[in-house]
Amino acid sequence: MALIDIEDLEVVFGSGGRRVHALRGVSLSVEEGESFGIVGESGSGKSTVLRAACGLAPVTGGRILIDGKQVTSPRDAAFYRRVQMVFQDPYASLHPRHTIDRVLSEPLAIHGFDRREARVEQALDEVGLGKGFRFRYPHQLSGGQRQRVAIARALILEPKVILLDEPTSALDASIQAEVLNLLDRLRDERGLTYVLVSHDLAVVSHMCERLMVMQNGQVVEQLTREALQARATTKDYTRNLLTASEGFTRDPALQT
Amino acid sequence: MSPLLSVENLRIAFPSRQGPVEVVRGVSFELGRERLGIVGESGSGKSQTGRAILGLTPVSGKATADLLEFDGIDLRDATPAKWRSLRGARMSMVMQDPKFSLNPVMTIGKQLMEAVKLHGGKSEARDKSLAMLEAVQIRDPERVMAAYPHELSGGMGQRAMIAMMLVTEPDLLIADEPTSALDVTVQIEVLRILDRLVSERGMGLIFISHDLELVSTFCDRVLVMYAGRVVEELDAAKMSEAQHPYTRGLIGCLPKINGDVRPLPVLARDAAWLE
Amino acid sequence: MTADPSRQGLSQWLLSEQPASRNQARLGQAWRIWLSFTSNRLGMVGLGIVLILVLVAIFADVIAPYNPLLGGDLRTERLLPPSMDHWMGTDDLARDIFSRVVHGARLTLMVVALVAIIATPIGLLVGTTSGYFGGWIDTVLMRITDIFLAFPRLILALAFVAALGPGIENAIIAIAITSWPPYARLARAETLSIRNAEHIDAIRLQGASSGRIIWGHVVPLCMSSVIIRVTLDMAGIILTAAGLGFLGLGAQPPQPEWGAMIAGGRRFLIDYWWVATMPGIAIFVVSLGFNLLGDGLRDVLDPKAQQQ
Repeated sequence: MALIDIEDLEVVFGSGGRRVHALRGVSLSVEEGESFGIVGESGSGKSTVLRAACGLAPVTGGRILIDGKQVTSPRDAAFYRRVQMVFQDPYASLHPRHTIDRVLSEPLAIHGFDRREARVEQALDEVGLGKGFRFRYPHQLSGGQRQRVAIARALILEPKVILLDEPTSALDASIQAEVLNLLDRLRDERGLTYVLVSHDLAVVSHMCERLMVMQNGQVVEQLTREALQARATTKDYTRNLLTASEGFTRDPALQT
Repeated sequence: MSPLLSVENLRIAFPSRQGPVEVVRGVSFELGRERLGIVGESGSGKSQTGRAILGLTPVSGKATADLLEFDGIDLRDATPAKWRSLRGARMSMVMQDPKFSLNPVMTIGKQLMEAVKLHGGKSEARDKSLAMLEAVQIRDPERVMAAYPHELSGGMGQRAMIAMMLVTEPDLLIADEPTSALDVTVQIEVLRILDRLVSERGMGLIFISHDLELVSTFCDRVLVMYAGRVVEELDAAKMSEAQHPYTRGLIGCLPKINGDVRPLPVLARDAAWLE
Repeated sequence: MTADPSRQGLSQWLLSEQPASRNQARLGQAWRIWLSFTSNRLGMVGLGIVLILVLVAIFADVIAPYNPLLGGDLRTERLLPPSMDHWMGTDDLARDIFSRVVHGARLTLMVVALVAIIATPIGLLVGTTSGYFGGWIDTVLMRITDIFLAFPRLILALAFVAALGPGIENAIIAIAITSWPPYARLARAETLSIRNAEHIDAIRLQGASSGRIIWGHVVPLCMSSVIIRVTLDMAGIILTAAGLGFLGLGAQPPQPEWGAMIAGGRRFLIDYWWVATMPGIAIFVVSLGFNLLGDGLRDVLDPKAQQQ
């Protein structure tokens, strides 16, 4: 049985004349310990899948099962202890007036964890920041350091599943490598399950064993990493994405 | 052939509590009628370099140079009137986000025609605007002329923006991350338009980007900037032969679809690169 | 000569990039705000005026040379012009105006403080709740706010005082009731832009309750703009209190309320100008002080102003 099962997910935003059908029957399943990627361009609904899964977007149809059990709406405390999310923009995802200490201890307080001090320090160590960062404010950190804090926050409730919404797209290339390595290491050490959303095929191919290509709220196709690397795709859209992600190719007719 | 643009020892400083901080520290290069890429990470000073060439350094900053010459015109102490006659007409800039660069309460057509009129040629303004929109591969130029910026998609808006910057047929275009806000497939289309304009009209293009791969496939020559300095200048085709450890590190730390290096090599910054 | 080492150490400790405790982080943050505030000269003038008002109110008994309520000899000391004995002259009941102005600072400060304490939390609570939840809660709360906003402030205060009876306490309640709607509007507008921020989504995903999110995450972000607004409104509040006093609906005689004093001096304005003018100057200076302070605070706290 898969850890995450999403069947025929439908999401509609707004009502009346301004209805936006963001997801049209999206299904996917992720095994425990697996890393699953969702690729697509803007407006494809890739982030909406994550947001619907964790209750930030309204589900209008279909089912979401975690461990075979349908999730409740609103989600209960047990859900949040199993599933956590890392957001795209490290500059927007940390409260500007809260110290790192508060960011990390608040979830512990909400869920009544013991040994809070020790857990906060351990979480900072695990993401490679160390105790010196504990009482800083977000504006004293760089983008990469903020994203490490966001990862520490997601990990502090010891979840099994982490939803990653473009976790490195706001970061410089060299910082992206560090964050991807950190995510890789944490998955190994803790046996985490990832669902990673990205517009960057290379990032998904590096991080995920399986992936799904989305367009206009629908699934184009599902591929394994090997199939992607072998360019074994049957869909034109995926092929276009692959070509485009290899950089610019000059039109031979214009070569002078 | 004399270069279109010469920059020598360009420095840009901003005041801070600890005294002035130099964000660009002695950048020199020459540009012919070619595609020059400037690559760097955030804070490398690449955008400020681009803005300084157009005299668009923020008022709090101070830009100085030993030489800043565009087609024989000294830009260092150009008067506001001089800048007005140059900007738009002979040198233009495309920014990252079209939403901030287009006037939201004016139709695209009106903005385009205004740009044409400002630099002469009132009578054929409309024809010229339509032709330009066609040139940037907008299929239905009449409809886009009548549209407001918010009615266009990101890619369409960026194309309209490029059309506006190019309708006066400038000799130099500075494109600061012109495609970073766009999807990859759209990005390639927009670049194709820029590419054709360079080869057909003999325009000089400075392409500023953080995306090393894109720049190396699109440009002729690449400047790699780090902490306000050019650390390496390369032929775009010879990117793999880069010498400087920073450039090599930047290339190495990108994940590749076919690569399976795990963990990814991480860029180790060396204090000596600052010198 | 070098700076005092202990002082330097303290400043370093406060500005440390690696605070070692919660308190150090908090104090450091406050110190940074203070440092940028001190560079604003007009703001400092405003702060100075407000501080003087507070000190005068606290030490009114010590500062005032005469009793503010009991006058001197009615035959010889009525309506004396300003002199060394009576710095601001005396009024028609032979009371020393300077002493009355000094004691009036207490009333003014009480009005300002109580209105701030009553109106700000109501405004914040209504605004953040309505902005955060949206939907019918928003509609109901905002229509109520609209009703309060639709009345001119002084008229509504007049109606309340008329219903509750004249007196400084009722005047304060009336002013507080009429001054929260703008804060609610402001807080709601701020909340609308905050509620979809990723950090609010993030805390929602940690399982936080709506109350915790509003109180711990939304309110602190609305706080600075509301504080700025309240400070800038203080001048208006003082004027409203004085206006009510002037109309005889605020503080009652013989209380030394500035507005009531002006009303009392109105009859002799031509012949004995100081009776009405001195409390008028006091109102002017204090209002100006709050305005300058508010502007200074905005420069420091408002993120939109900082970007420019």
